[in-house]
Amino acid sequence: MTTTIVSILLAGLLTENMVLSKFLGICPFLGTSKKFDTAFSMSLAVTAVMVIATAVTYPLYAFVLLPLNLAYLQTIVFILVIAALVQFLETVLKKYAKPIYESLGIYLPLITTNCAVLGITLLNFTKGYNFFESIINALSAGLGFMLALVIFAGIRQKVDESDIPEGLKGLPITLIAASIVSLSFLGFAGIGG
Amino acid sequence: MKKHFSYLTNGIIKENPVLRLVLGTCPTLAVTTAAVNGIGMGVAATLVLLGSNIAISALRKFIPDKVRIPAYITIIAGFVTIVQMLVKAFLPTIDASLGIFLPLIVVNCIILGRAEMFASKNSILPSVLDAIGMGIGFTATLTLMGSIRELIGAGTLFGFPITQQFISPMVIMLLPPGGFFVFGILVALSNKLATKAGKEPVKNLGCSSCPMASSCANKKEAE
Amino acid sequence: MNLLNKIKSFYNKYTDILRPMFVLTIICLVTAAALSVTNMLTATRIENLANQNKNREMSALLPAQNYREVAVSNKNSQLFLAQDESNFVGYVVTASAKGYGGDINIMAAINPDKKIIGVSILSAADETPGLGANVTKPEFYSQFAGLSANITAIKNTANPANNEIKTVTGATISSKAVTKAVNQALQIVEEYEKSLNTEGVQ
Repeated sequence: MTTTIVSILLAGLLTENMVLSKFLGICPFLGTSKKFDTAFSMSLAVTAVMVIATAVTYPLYAFVLLPLNLAYLQTIVFILVIAALVQFLETVLKKYAKPIYESLGIYLPLITTNCAVLGITLLNFTKGYNFFESIINALSAGLGFMLALVIFAGIRQKVDESDIPEGLKGLPITLIAASIVSLSFLGFAGIGG
Repeated sequence: MKKHFSYLTNGIIKENPVLRLVLGTCPTLAVTTAAVNGIGMGVAATLVLLGSNIAISALRKFIPDKVRIPAYITIIAGFVTIVQMLVKAFLPTIDASLGIFLPLIVVNCIILGRAEMFASKNSILPSVLDAIGMGIGFTATLTLMGSIRELIGAGTLFGFPITQQFISPMVIMLLPPGGFFVFGILVALSNKLATKAGKEPVKNLGCSSCPMASSCANKKEAE
Repeated sequence: MNLLNKIKSFYNKYTDILRPMFVLTIICLVTAAALSVTNMLTATRIENLANQNKNREMSALLPAQNYREVAVSNKNSQLFLAQDESNFVGYVVTASAKGYGGDINIMAAINPDKKIIGVSILSAADETPGLGANVTKPEFYSQFAGLSANITAIKNTANPANNEIKTVTGATISSKAVTKAVNQALQIVEEYEKSLNTEGVQ
């Protein structure tokens, strides 16, 4: 049991990192990694939604869709659950947790179209995880997302201060920097196998 | 007529969804390890885009503004699942190589982006042309990127050996870093061409390209 | 009539809330209907395709008249008993192990003496093309034929010794993953035979 948990955690954080090796959630990765604070808050919100979405979609699929032979509605049901969940979280936070809403709220609408969230809920089943493993998987994927964003925010601040050839300014140099970061993550391959 | 033609050509070069609007970055990076995957992904996304643009344009007066995002998502997810089932039934090898990125077309910003920016404001014919144009632009860019990565990384093109015999392939191009790198270089080139043509280069994947931009405060921060 | 008018006025009064709900419900219903029609049209084809693939793999590895599935404790594996007429000819087992980028799934045919007849790679989609993906080539997986439990994968060896296989150049992790999965398959057969013996049924 412990070995499974450790290996799922290591995979989510390092070897199968959402952003740097699975290419999920690239939009928020490039869009919100300009500043450290923004990157941190965004990935915190993503992690929370991932875990809650997994907790909701897993039983829904295993106990409702599968027994009713409606497995083909998986994608549509999952994305609607995520959209509704995000809306719900926004309303609840706005009403009962003003400070959290003020720091995280603005990132919530972006999460519906973050493919990492839908991706993780679908991957839980392709990987054949049980409920508990799925939750761990969602958590570690979220933390992996955070790790990538936070590391990258630091790098981008340095890059912004550097002298860069005109043609590479902006998005191109960001992508090339991402390439080098993901190169370093390749070094983790095989850990926890 | 001329106007209609411009709807069609718009997505191919001037507003190329990948290189100019910077939408759909995830599948662009993930599936382009071979030219043929680029075509598969491009065609699948084009079919979904065509279906969703038609449906959303036809229903644009019927869908209340308040619930438009969930309505669009439902319609798009429906088309995605249909395409997914068809691919599974008739093109199982494509299904295996696209993997999870097939259902993830649902959250491909190109589809939702065109629904929000174009189909919800235009009648059916322009929406169809827009979908075809954007689809061709997306497919062409993905195929180009897939070809580059396949040629350098494996020495083949569409599976046929080209430089394999005399140049040792640089496998790194097929790995994630290669994806980011080739995409970065392509954006730089497209920026160069755009500047020459007197257009603004793409500096950032800002929120302007995000379909959720209107409801997102991050946009204000960026401005 | 009166009731209808009441409904109408109620709808008009709350149209702001009711209309979006109404529209969304219709869209959901129509989409679900379209999906179930497509599903009806494609489901059998998809299932046949999957079964055909599996059967083709099984009969390529170990030709037999029928394959009877038996339950195993490992949830990621399947164990089939291959039978000709009433003669038991061997086991077919599926197993998986974590490779470089994701899971590698294999199928192994094992004879009643618990020696490997053959191995085939079902999927190694996440392995690096040109390196790790080379484990899907016959030069690699044909090495397993004739070996038995506790196979070890050795790097850079010219002639692998007894119960050893040579890893694919530059793809040690993927090669070791396949080896691990094959060993797992052998173990599943071992455990199955043990459970038969303790239950006293042959």
